[in-house]
Amino acid sequence: MSAPLTRLIELGPARPQVEVLESGDGPALLFLHGAGGIPAWEGALPRLARAFRVYAPLLPGFGQSTGLEYLEDEHDLFLHGFDVMEALGLERPYVVGESMGGWLAAEMAALRPKEIGRLALAAPVGLWRDEAPLPDMFGMMVHELVPYLFHDQTCPAAAQMLAVTQLFGARDDRTDEQVELLLSLVRGFRTAAKFLFPIPEHGLERRLWRITAPTLVLWGAEDRFAKPLYGRIFAEKIRGARLEIVPEAGHLIGLERPEPYVEALVRWGRDGR
Amino acid sequence: MRFSWFHLMPYRWLPADFRERYHGVWVDVPNRLYDPERGHELYNEYLDMLEYAGQMGFDGLGVNEHHQNAYGMMPSPNLMAAALARRSTEAMLLVLGNSIALYNPPVRVAEEFAMLDVMSGGRLIAGFPVGTSMDTNYCYGVNPATLRERYREAHDLIIKAWATREPFPWNGKYTKLRYVNLWPRPIQQPHPPIWIPGLGSIETWDFCVEHDYNYSYLSFSGYKRAQRMLDGYWERRAALGADPNPHSAAFFQQVCLSDTDGTCEREWWPHVDYFFNKCLHLYPGMTGAPGYMSEASMRAGIVAQIGNTSLNLGRDKSWKELCDERYIVAGSPRTVRQQLEELCRSLRVGHLLLGLHIGSAPIELVNRATYLCANEVLPHLRPIWNEWEDRWWPKALPATRRAEPGSRNAAARERVERPAAGDEAVRP
Repeated sequence: MSAPLTRLIELGPARPQVEVLESGDGPALLFLHGAGGIPAWEGALPRLARAFRVYAPLLPGFGQSTGLEYLEDEHDLFLHGFDVMEALGLERPYVVGESMGGWLAAEMAALRPKEIGRLALAAPVGLWRDEAPLPDMFGMMVHELVPYLFHDQTCPAAAQMLAVTQLFGARDDRTDEQVELLLSLVRGFRTAAKFLFPIPEHGLERRLWRITAPTLVLWGAEDRFAKPLYGRIFAEKIRGARLEIVPEAGHLIGLERPEPYVEALVRWGRDGR
Repeated sequence: MRFSWFHLMPYRWLPADFRERYHGVWVDVPNRLYDPERGHELYNEYLDMLEYAGQMGFDGLGVNEHHQNAYGMMPSPNLMAAALARRSTEAMLLVLGNSIALYNPPVRVAEEFAMLDVMSGGRLIAGFPVGTSMDTNYCYGVNPATLRERYREAHDLIIKAWATREPFPWNGKYTKLRYVNLWPRPIQQPHPPIWIPGLGSIETWDFCVEHDYNYSYLSFSGYKRAQRMLDGYWERRAALGADPNPHSAAFFQQVCLSDTDGTCEREWWPHVDYFFNKCLHLYPGMTGAPGYMSEASMRAGIVAQIGNTSLNLGRDKSWKELCDERYIVAGSPRTVRQQLEELCRSLRVGHLLLGLHIGSAPIELVNRATYLCANEVLPHLRPIWNEWEDRWWPKALPATRRAEPGSRNAAARERVERPAAGDEAVRP
């Protein structure tokens, strides 16, 4: 798994600066990350890069991307998504979004349906049902969040995340590197909170009918963060959408079950089925 | 020195196993634990304590704003100040304050503070806290990313509303109003003194200096632990070229006052224990929503901000530790006098906010402390910092021009309390 190409894109004065990770050959795949960002080039992304040219831009606050102050509300964020697409020269790409990134992808596809070629939403947020409230990811300690994100708490990705959360807490023996890691996580959460606090819902449901891109909705059968009922709503409201449930997977499907996850995304992106 | 008697108004009846059964005292502590009838008793008892403090000659009576919280039952401190305005006719009303970013439109605060100032004859101190993350983000749903910008805009709007004598339009980012036209407007000109409660961020100090506002540090961990912060405040003031006027700063200190040092622990410990181990039982997951703190502040206090699991606000400390470390100033009038003098001089504060009630303390104990404090402590401390002018104190109407509550009824009674004259005479 070769390291991806990393570059910084300047969008212009008083606009964000965007770090983009790029790798692979093939048709363009625009990957929109979730609230955890892309801490490492491992798991699903290098696998996707075997079938596609993967472009993974980071939102301001993640990695080296800056300029959150220029995105004042969710509308700025949606337009920012198109600005990045244009800067990368992507036309009607295959857009894959996870969780928060899935919400962004769906909003973009509803806003300018003709500019998204194909869409895959992996457990996107953005809808709300009182009978299945999403947990408040901004109002709990990080180690308390992990059980909501994985079906199998002992899977390597969950263990890895819990190890990082050990760094949070009352201690003063952290290395500078660890402090920077924590700050970078907090910075990412700050970005997520700017657009999703306190309730991650901005009316997407009434716009879903506008989406025309062929859409795959992927959901972990055991998602405790966004219950699978949301997957059914997405699939019902997006014309012709296909819902695929990944067994024995929680919210972060790509981290917990990378093989079936990548298989479904590749199949959808290549053959549309 | 000026002294205000400050009430937090905690709920007194949290269960013994509260800390084991609930993860915090704030935000999501279920209100099934609140008994409104006991609440009725408490509000009246607490207002009695404040009124007594007014009668004993305290300079100010202090209240503040918290939401969804068992240690502070004042979602609207303005209601408390309004109740006090009619029954405490001398003391200043220290409302510390209204979290102005929470009000939509913020002119609501300008209106209510103006009402309080007019009702009380110009006795209001207007506090403008940003508010804790629990109150502002988690309880009132304000986005942490925009909270401070909202705060600044609300501040500018309120000040302009107080100062302007003609209707004006306000085209803000968060508030758009075609007609801002305050009725009533405050007695104090251009506006009541403004105090800013803060937790030590440089931005807040700069804001206070820029506008010549009082900076109030409301700490629950006592004056010794506040030294570094207040030192920072005075250094920052000096760096900005502002005078080192002690009255520009206020400090809150919990005090447990008894007749003798020997009886103090026995009398106060259950209530101190209730405060530090129940009222301050905070859930670390909600102490700072992402974006509530600037990155610089976060870097400075990285442990506190990013999920500190044992946020220590005096929890599990013994009486002796709490006293030695001055979380509480406790003892006889003589001991309390000495320690408070040390506080005033070491922190260089001209305003002391005294927490003479704590936790579950009942009125007999508290009023005795109020009495002892007024008679045997304060007189010795009053002269401190007398050489400095206090620009942060209300300029109330002189007593001769202040209406006396109830006096109009008394004067009219004789003329109005008589049988009807009979309308037979005027029937057509």
